[in-house]
Amino acid sequence: MRVVLIAMLGLACAACESSNVSRDVGARCDENSECNVDCLGSDQFPGGFCSVLCDSDADCPDDARCIAYNGGVCVFGCGSDADCAFLGGYSCQPFDSQGAGAKVMVCLGG
Amino acid sequence: MLRRLIIAACALASAPALADMPSPASGVDPPAKVAPADMSDQAIGAGLGAALGGRVTPGGLRVEGHYLYQLSDADWFDGTAAFTFGGGSAECFYDRSDTYTCDHGVAQGDGFEVIASVRHFLTGRDIYWPFLHGGIGLGYARYGSDGVGGLQIPLHLGGGLRVSISEEIAIVAQLEVEVGIGVFGHGIGLEPQLGGDLTVGVEFRL
Repeated sequence: MRVVLIAMLGLACAACESSNVSRDVGARCDENSECNVDCLGSDQFPGGFCSVLCDSDADCPDDARCIAYNGGVCVFGCGSDADCAFLGGYSCQPFDSQGAGAKVMVCLGG
Repeated sequence: MLRRLIIAACALASAPALADMPSPASGVDPPAKVAPADMSDQAIGAGLGAALGGRVTPGGLRVEGHYLYQLSDADWFDGTAAFTFGGGSAECFYDRSDTYTCDHGVAQGDGFEVIASVRHFLTGRDIYWPFLHGGIGLGYARYGSDGVGGLQIPLHLGGGLRVSISEEIAIVAQLEVEVGIGVFGHGIGLEPQLGGDLTVGVEFRL
């Protein structure tokens, strides 16, 4: 009985796990149909990177910033390279912020 | 010490027999009710409600059909066929390790499930009879917008209340949690299942 309860709790915890990667921002992609909006695919986004359009940070998820790329897209903000490790091959780099005219630290490849 | 244990064991063993004996004051006591008086050995029912899912557990409108068969004084087998109708935007994607992952909301996806379970009545009063409910299901879940489907084997645990309206009809409200495992295509593989549902329905004796 105890084993069954532990197994059920384990399943329940696994089912509640979440990731900050989503079809909006961060999922790997080869084409737009794999994302809710755009699949970014240049050298700055190795493996493809799902993103949504934005005019400011307010248009992005909590952990993302709006950068001046393709008219404004959301990418993950960071404080160090370690913050970008989950993306695989990305590092923390400065980039122009969309609208604000300043540099922001975001996860980019290359 | 051994003598005390033997005396205690004898006392415990004789307790049910003493309980079955007629009381001197009233002659023969009526047997205690352990299930609703109008509950026959067979019944059918239908229910409508809401299911909460998430990730790869479907949620949405829940429609159920029941067949009940008496197993013992307080227990009935409950064979259920259940449909879940949820919404459907695409929510699956490749994460950064190239694993196909789904993150559906609580009311998304469609599902069909057959469930074999047991309803055990607790002590009730008049027309109100609470019960516990537990069983296992086999189902198929489908997320059309993602082209993802799979088999699911959840355990169902919960309870409810049966209210007799007449000798033929009862209203049944039931709340349950489902926990289990599913096997999905598109490279998803094994996924945990976690959900719950609340249904209200009507039951007819056969």
